[in-house]
Amino acid sequence: MSEEKKKGGFFSAVKEFVYGVAAHDSARFALKSRASMEHLFILITMGDMLGVPILPPYYSLRLLPYVVPQISTWKRRMLKEKDLTDGLA
Amino acid sequence: MNSVVVLILGLVVAFIGYRFYAKHIDSKIIKSDPKRATPAKMYMDGVEFMPTSKNILFGYQFKSIAGAAPIIGPIIAIQWGWLPALIWILAGTFFIGWVQDYSSAMVAMRNDGASFGGLSHKLISPRARVILLAFIYFYLLLIAGAFGNVVVSTTVALKAAPMAWLFLTIGGILAGQMIYRWRKDIILTTVITVIIAMAGIWFGSVAPSDSILGADLANSRWLWAIAAFVFCYFAAVLPIWRFALPINYVASYIVFLGLFFGIIGIFILHPDFTLPAYTGFSIRIGPIWPIMFVTIACGAISGWHSIVSSSGTARQLENELDARPVGGGVMFIEMMLALFALIIAGTIYASSAEYGAAIAKGPGGIFAAGVSKFLGAIGMPAALGRSYGSVMMIVLAITIMQLVIRFMRVATSELLSDISPVFRNPHIGTFIACVLGMVLVMTGWWQYLWVLFGGANQLMASLALLLVTAWLMSEGRSAAWAFYPMIFMFITTIAALLYTSYNLLVKVISGAVKGEALIGNTLMGLVGLFLVVAALILGAEGMKALKRYRSITKNQAAAAAKA
Repeated sequence: MSEEKKKGGFFSAVKEFVYGVAAHDSARFALKSRASMEHLFILITMGDMLGVPILPPYYSLRLLPYVVPQISTWKRRMLKEKDLTDGLA
Repeated sequence: MNSVVVLILGLVVAFIGYRFYAKHIDSKIIKSDPKRATPAKMYMDGVEFMPTSKNILFGYQFKSIAGAAPIIGPIIAIQWGWLPALIWILAGTFFIGWVQDYSSAMVAMRNDGASFGGLSHKLISPRARVILLAFIYFYLLLIAGAFGNVVVSTTVALKAAPMAWLFLTIGGILAGQMIYRWRKDIILTTVITVIIAMAGIWFGSVAPSDSILGADLANSRWLWAIAAFVFCYFAAVLPIWRFALPINYVASYIVFLGLFFGIIGIFILHPDFTLPAYTGFSIRIGPIWPIMFVTIACGAISGWHSIVSSSGTARQLENELDARPVGGGVMFIEMMLALFALIIAGTIYASSAEYGAAIAKGPGGIFAAGVSKFLGAIGMPAALGRSYGSVMMIVLAITIMQLVIRFMRVATSELLSDISPVFRNPHIGTFIACVLGMVLVMTGWWQYLWVLFGGANQLMASLALLLVTAWLMSEGRSAAWAFYPMIFMFITTIAALLYTSYNLLVKVISGAVKGEALIGNTLMGLVGLFLVVAALILGAEGMKALKRYRSITKNQAAAAAKA
């Protein structure tokens, strides 16, 4: 990512700065909302992987290939200790 | 002194601070390593942990930390004279401000992207986290109160502001709808919604609130306080993309354009300071030490920045070398913003009496008059400029305030849901936050409220520096550059909060205040005292942790010497 950006020069830096001021936060929150929905979905279908006592339905096996790429980040987000200060920014 | 000299002085301090002091700390003490994997890379989840270019983060950090505080602080603090305020802004940023912003990003980065709650648990003690969370809740409450007051006093003092604020809200809601629901092009959306917001500024200047609502309603603090908190209520309970964020999006263009052209205006007009350089040690809100050091909060050092740095930015930096420009560099830009405000307050009035009459009505009017004058230098009519300044002030305050109420809602559910599940309900948490904020706005004298907010903010900064010192000592690194600023801020803010709380509560006990002021004084005094007690406990826990780290380091050194 950074190597490509370096080629852009001054104007791309200004463009990125304006994006950072105006829209970066919105993009992050949009991603956060999507991730929490997805992670909730994985939890109810694959929760047994984390020890949540869910009897895995037949369909979770069919969904498994689609979920595989997300499993590691999902586990980390679910098991990470969180408190109020995590949500502040 | 000429205002351009002040700006140049600021640039020189920023250059030396950033290029030499910050570079020295970054390369010699922290030893930033571009090859070390940052949490953003190690734990990349495409959401919170995401490697992001430093230019984007520069903008993100600037937007997150530049609220109303760096502007209002200097406008109030010039009551002691412009020279002490100027010295504190420059020295505070140089020795403390950037240190805190940069190091809180660094400490979070080197600890797997942990936020302050987790860091205080790990580096100080488990109890420290609980106290810190309670501290943060009341700190947020004071932000809501102080910023709410700015919104109310600005809408009362400047009759163009309500219409501009209404149009901005409409533009913001439309932006959210266009981007996320109708999936319209972002450039088209931006152009349309920013034009709507600008039209509101013009409309505000031709149709002021008293001509539409009548003088009674237009001057009613109740009306505007309710409007502000209803606004925040929506921001807290609606999905964030529907209200809070798109309004902030449209607002950021207004602020950015205003600041950009305002600074050009200063260079064109380059006025001299008309207010005295120094007025006296003690004024109505208190003595210069410690009160001035908390009145100017964000322009010199601010605890809010450390929260943004640690919970937000630290998880997105793709390279350790980027922490200096993003964490430290943005603080120097914030310092320039504070100098801009100082120049406005110090140069637009012919005499102290004129300034005194203006400050009695609140800082919003002074800022708007300044913006009007400097935008006038590039050809904007005065009435339109005032309208622009008033909406800038409201935007700077309300964009932070709405997020604060949202955080308070989350905090209520986090802290109190064990007591009763009812506190998990978002409406209950938001309602409590709005009512408490409203009580502060309606019953407290705004200058005391501002000092309390500043005190809490600076105390948060000293707690952040305490965490940084604990981390540096635990790693055996040189810690004096964070330790002494921490001690200075800790003592100053405790003194400021005690002084203000004492003044407030003495009036309550002696029966000098009645009615609304009685409620305001009691609430503000107690919140101030609570913050002091929480900070003292945290300080004591922190000192214990520091001693522990020191003895470990000594033992290690002794063992190494033996070997």
